[in-house]
Amino acid sequence: MTNQTISFSLNGEIVEIAVSPSEMLLDILREKMHLTGTKRGCGKGECGACTIIFNGKAMNACLIPAMRAKGADIQTIEGVESAHGLHPLQQSFIETGAVQCGFCTPGMIMSAKALLDKNKSPSKDQIREAVSGNICRCTGYVKIEEAVEDAAVRLRASAVKGGDL
Amino acid sequence: MSQFEYVGKSVLRRDGVDKTTGRGLFTTDMFLPGMLFAKVLRSPHPHARIVSIDTSEAEKLPGVKAVMSHKNGPKNLFNASVPMFLTIPQLERVLDQYLFDDVVRYVGDEVAAVAATSEAIAAKALELIKVEYEILPAVFDPLEAMKPEAPELHAGKGCTPEGKNIPGEIVKIPYHDVEKGLAESDVIIEETYKLPVQKQVQMETQAAVAQVDGNGDVTVWSTSQTPHPSRAILGKIFNIAASKIRVLAPPYVGGGFGVRIGLSAKAEPIAMGLALLAKKPVKLVYTRKEDFIASDTRHPGYITIKLGAKKDGTFQALDMKSVLGTGAYCSFGAELPGVCGAMTLAIYRIPHQRYHGHSVYTNTTSCGAMRGFGNPQGNYAMEQTVDLMAEKLGIDPLELRRKNIMKAGEPWCLPYACGTTELAECMRQGAESIGWDRRGTFNKPGSTTLRGLGMAVGTHVSNAWPFCVDYDNAYVTIQPDGSAHVASGVPDIGTGTSTSLVQIAAETLGLDMEHISLTYGDTLGTPFDIGSHASRTCYAAGTAIKAAAEDARRQVLEYAAGFFNIAPEHLQIHKGVITPVTSSMDECSGSGLCQLEEVKEGKGNTVTLEELSYHAHVRNKQFIGVGRIVPPNAPPWHACFADVEVDTRTGQVRVIKLAAAHDVGRAINPMIVEGQIEGGAAQGIGYALSEEITYNDKGRQQQYSMHNYMLPTAEDMPEIHSIIVESSDPTGPFGAKGAGECSLVCPASAIANAVANATGHRFKEIPMTPERVFKALNS
Repeated sequence: MTNQTISFSLNGEIVEIAVSPSEMLLDILREKMHLTGTKRGCGKGECGACTIIFNGKAMNACLIPAMRAKGADIQTIEGVESAHGLHPLQQSFIETGAVQCGFCTPGMIMSAKALLDKNKSPSKDQIREAVSGNICRCTGYVKIEEAVEDAAVRLRASAVKGGDL
Repeated sequence: MSQFEYVGKSVLRRDGVDKTTGRGLFTTDMFLPGMLFAKVLRSPHPHARIVSIDTSEAEKLPGVKAVMSHKNGPKNLFNASVPMFLTIPQLERVLDQYLFDDVVRYVGDEVAAVAATSEAIAAKALELIKVEYEILPAVFDPLEAMKPEAPELHAGKGCTPEGKNIPGEIVKIPYHDVEKGLAESDVIIEETYKLPVQKQVQMETQAAVAQVDGNGDVTVWSTSQTPHPSRAILGKIFNIAASKIRVLAPPYVGGGFGVRIGLSAKAEPIAMGLALLAKKPVKLVYTRKEDFIASDTRHPGYITIKLGAKKDGTFQALDMKSVLGTGAYCSFGAELPGVCGAMTLAIYRIPHQRYHGHSVYTNTTSCGAMRGFGNPQGNYAMEQTVDLMAEKLGIDPLELRRKNIMKAGEPWCLPYACGTTELAECMRQGAESIGWDRRGTFNKPGSTTLRGLGMAVGTHVSNAWPFCVDYDNAYVTIQPDGSAHVASGVPDIGTGTSTSLVQIAAETLGLDMEHISLTYGDTLGTPFDIGSHASRTCYAAGTAIKAAAEDARRQVLEYAAGFFNIAPEHLQIHKGVITPVTSSMDECSGSGLCQLEEVKEGKGNTVTLEELSYHAHVRNKQFIGVGRIVPPNAPPWHACFADVEVDTRTGQVRVIKLAAAHDVGRAINPMIVEGQIEGGAAQGIGYALSEEITYNDKGRQQQYSMHNYMLPTAEDMPEIHSIIVESSDPTGPFGAKGAGECSLVCPASAIANAVANATGHRFKEIPMTPERVFKALNS
């Protein structure tokens, strides 16, 4: 197999990039596109720091061969903030104190966003399950759970108002 | 109403937007033009001599730009941790490692490093390096390593009358007459406990990027907790003036928990060495496995507690002994046993005490600082023994502790005062939260699920003094537009100090936080500071910043006084506006604020700092405050309560709830303090139940990934009730004490006491894994 130029949707824009069969999507994002918001904590799918949303699902970018991105719809942390400002998850993470060292935060937000994109009234257990693949060593997860619950409330309130998020 | 404008408020973190949007830059994100990528060849043997090393094939590989091994590396002996630079004059430094040596002492020890145009080429080059080893005998347990027949890890170092392989001085803390105290005791309990290797597992692995300019000046982007001391150690390793080296964080650091103190795992000097050879920037990012096996761990070891008490429960004597494994290199091995002993002795008022402790070299990963720094080990041993004493005396463990805890102003073994303690109140609130009065009422005969409650108490430091060299400096510069710039040498390793330190500056200056910028974690442009560790950043760097801000404020008010025609001490700054203390905001015609000249003419008495600073600026004057302090120390306190359930069929321990009540002095930012309490609780739960690195008979680490080193996940976490019981310590900035580490000191002790309460079995070895618990309950 040889290098191939593929295209995919990245944070709502179509991008084209040459990738080799040995590369993982995380390598492409971080090393070639310099989107370093997606973090590398282990490279083996164990820590969740590189979580992105891949065709609507939270996935570890370190485990996705770059070739598989062909035609995919990919969201990274860089695409979460909109022209209107921070996403409710970002606001909630800041306001509840869910951010400490910040290295797990992008992946944590992407896992939570994949959940809230589908379910705006998640139970505590559903929140815990959604972020259970994301290791955080600073917070004990307490304020992270609070942040996701809080963001869900904001999203529901915004949906009632017909807001665009 | 709070008496403060900024202190004591849960101000939102200033790094929040950067860290939630992916904009925040970490060392592992750094990318420089022409940058090379490095990889390290590591020893597969726990102890061996390198008979020969041939790097010629690696050097020939296209893309390889530099190779370093013991043959061409610097030959200056050092200690990768900060005792290299911060050992107090009364003690001798233990310098026991080279960047690359011809002897390797643990599986993972650095043998050689390569810099190449890609990581893949560097990895390929490592395969081409030929190394011939002469295998040497190895030893993995600290007690075994002390025996006469044990191999000597560092020739000529550590042979003492008490045993082999003991680096540094043996720590002895005498306090009155322990033999007399034991003789006067009605009940004596003596037990030995075995503590495991715990790993920090900070989320960003150890990493560095080094760049050398044409004049030989070096810049190192680093994950260090201690930029200034790290710079000094780099200078000694390479025999380069420290002033030619700049160490900085970019600015974010993906967690620390002690592992970033000094140059643990040597990413900085290896990247710097290769950059010096290649004359190109070099980036070295450790894999998670490398981080597990090659960066400092918590010290494992054995702790014996002998506790004597009167029949009524009054403690009479405490005799404590520790033997801690420090791994292949000393790191903090000479200092940590002292903190282990001192913090354990300080919990209770015991008239007669004695501590004897040291560490021991073994052929394992170096052990150094991890959050708590020896204290969780000592606390576990002590707090199990206190519960045993309570059982023996038939006294409720809460009651027994209440009777014996240290009181403010009472004598103790430490060289600083116990100025404040709200431990009794912490115990009251924690007991109430956990429902302590339900203790012993849960279990029905024949039940396979046993529930129990347990507690533990402890203290820690707010600073590193008197255990190491310890002073802080800070600058506060008032800009000509009335904003302020603060410079402090501490980095923010995730604990929020880049926010809380600005709160301290804002409160002192009377200036809004938005008008204050902070330079931190960068040796260029900040004065010397020993760094972010020992729960000291807010307490000690905060004291220096407060002093610098007071100095700047004094200069501002002295300048203003001439216009107000009153003494400077009768002026105040509030939200960037200067007024007499006695007056409320007065009006000038129009804006409500006056020009200085109008004030002088008696036409008003309010002027902005902006107006004043600009007035001074155009007259060639700037207000620059300098803080130079030697911080004292003060004890934070913690009472931890655990509610647990043990499944006797599987050995699984589930923590239902943890109530953690803390006296941190004044909480400068309560939300940040809660985060410290909750995070420490999670690490304490891991220490109690699942986290452990073990070694097989070949000296290999059996846990080296998040797959087999069991960290708590969101689904493992119980309800955590963090309780802040405020006191105001006279020594800390606005009454603050340390908050970073105390949270990890007591949880494991409390959980084990709860497990003992549930099952009747006391664990003298942790973690209480399902295997260990199942075996204990079914033997």
